[in-house]
Amino acid sequence: MSATEQPAQVPAAKPSTVLARPIASRRNLIVRGIVALALVLLLVFPFLDFVSGALIRTVTVVVMAAALAQAWNLIGGYTGYPAFGNVAFFGAGGYATAILMAKMKVDFLPAVLAGGIVAALYATLLGFPVLRLKGHYFSIATLGIAEATREVVANWDTLTGGGSGITLPISPLRPQQFNQFMYFAMLAVFVGSVVLTYFITRSKLGYGMVAIREDEDAAKSLGINTTQFKVAAFALSALITGLVGGVYAYWNSSLIPEDAFNLDYTLRAILITIIGGPGSLFGPALGAIAFEFLRNFLWDRFPGLQFTFLGVMMVLTIIFMPKGVMEFLTGRRRFTPRDLLQYVRDHRVS
Amino acid sequence: MTLDQFLSIVPQSIVNGLMLGGTLSLVALGFSIVWGILNIINLAHGAFVMLSAYFAYFMFTGFGIDPFLSIAPAMLIFFVFGYVIQRYIINNVIRAPLLVTFLLTFGLEIIFVNVALNRFGGDYRSITTAYSGIGFFIGDVRVPYIKLAALLISLLIAGALHLFLSRTRTGNAIRAVGMDIDAAKLCGVKIGQTYAITYGIGAALAAAAGVLIGMSFTITPDMGGAFNLRSFVIVVLGGLGSVPGAVLGGLIFGMVDVFAGVLVPGLKDAIAFAMLVLVLIVRPQGILGKAFYK
Repeated sequence: MSATEQPAQVPAAKPSTVLARPIASRRNLIVRGIVALALVLLLVFPFLDFVSGALIRTVTVVVMAAALAQAWNLIGGYTGYPAFGNVAFFGAGGYATAILMAKMKVDFLPAVLAGGIVAALYATLLGFPVLRLKGHYFSIATLGIAEATREVVANWDTLTGGGSGITLPISPLRPQQFNQFMYFAMLAVFVGSVVLTYFITRSKLGYGMVAIREDEDAAKSLGINTTQFKVAAFALSALITGLVGGVYAYWNSSLIPEDAFNLDYTLRAILITIIGGPGSLFGPALGAIAFEFLRNFLWDRFPGLQFTFLGVMMVLTIIFMPKGVMEFLTGRRRFTPRDLLQYVRDHRVS
Repeated sequence: MTLDQFLSIVPQSIVNGLMLGGTLSLVALGFSIVWGILNIINLAHGAFVMLSAYFAYFMFTGFGIDPFLSIAPAMLIFFVFGYVIQRYIINNVIRAPLLVTFLLTFGLEIIFVNVALNRFGGDYRSITTAYSGIGFFIGDVRVPYIKLAALLISLLIAGALHLFLSRTRTGNAIRAVGMDIDAAKLCGVKIGQTYAITYGIGAALAAAAGVLIGMSFTITPDMGGAFNLRSFVIVVLGGLGSVPGAVLGGLIFGMVDVFAGVLVPGLKDAIAFAMLVLVLIVRPQGILGKAFYK
């Protein structure tokens, strides 16, 4: 981002509550401890004897949800652009990987990387016109992109296999090894996304993104090239989403347009980010754990009604804690009825 | 398709486009008024269309009531339904950032669609009256009675809405809130209530459209979602906050949709999206400009 000639002291005018928060060193230590412990647990658990393939797959689903949410967090949480079409990049990455592996016999790793790059390029291309739009227009335009991409993929029979989908080569690994392999592939993308987000939040790009979220005109007047910053955020978000899509394609061993471009993926990423805390580093991971746990719980108890609960959860989260659980964990909000109603009091009309 | 073949279907496609466009503009009208006045993208709008189609279906199969007679009761019921939703749910967060209301209505849509799926099942249903499928001919062009009636009723309701907004006290209050909320408040308009009435009207318009759509299309729990994106495109086409704009946008959209279906089948949404981006870039204020319910 050689956007400006000025030194990198961008939005000192409006310090973000998220980025410039002074963290007590003791709390900092605890957070590091928890993260380290979680990482060790995530690394060793698939090799334990009593862990079944089903459990590994379940955890892979959670990690995948967290990675998708982390990706959305970059554009939706940090930059404040409510993108509703991220599944387009999931599908683009997935299909690019699938086509490379199935038709050109490329190996898994280069194919997935290419999938991520294809998604990022697609986002860059779309970003320049679409990111000029704001608010509702941006949301619906991105929603439209996802639908339009699905239709094009479903009709491009010669390349994508059309509506009947595309089948990827079967892995030579034994089932349990394959489970572990896919788990680590997904985990790598997720950890990569967290590391990427960490470095972004401490870079000029990250400060610029938050400045755009808080006040785009002010950011512009401070010399931030808002278009470049927004497109960069959009493309990085698409890069992660595309990588997840690529890994998912191989994991699933086939792709159909209805699944690869299912709006559900976007929606889940958004909801998870909101539950966790948009614009925070570990919010998406926490949100993914909470959300997937609840979803599995509801799935078992109320088969057929789980999507209704998804909707109810969405409505309740939005009304009572639109900044997510992160606020409660960091102690900025207390979990009392009074605090829960604060947001409603601030935004209602009567 | 050769040019001759194409030319031979042009008159019929124009008529089909007009009749489809009439109903779509009725859907978009409700979407437009909620967006224009409340600044909410109401993603539950399509779900109202769907629920109302089911209402007409069950009235017809259960009690033998002609669907055209279901329009008025459906509008009344959905007005109350919409009023309650706005008053007791959406009003709570209406001043929050856009994403919040956007996601809230999305959540409501998910609830409605899945409750419908749970109650009614995913079966394809259709309302078959004695006069379904009958029509008359103008030359080679076939005009089905139901679709013609749907077009006329849509235009009638649009006209009534226009009169309501410009001639009645409540209508004026709604427009005032849309123009300047603080000034309206100073004049004694009850904001929360006006919002609820506006949302109720939006739901009632969706309900009227839902009955008409239920008579000529298949009814399924997930039929509504497609109408949200379409409504959005229509409102952008015609210009936000204008009744004639929504009608014109609907008719244009219907026309493009029918011709796209003939020329490039399977790419309808892509065409709609391309149209949206084109309008936003070339003429962001819409074809009729920003009249804002004046």
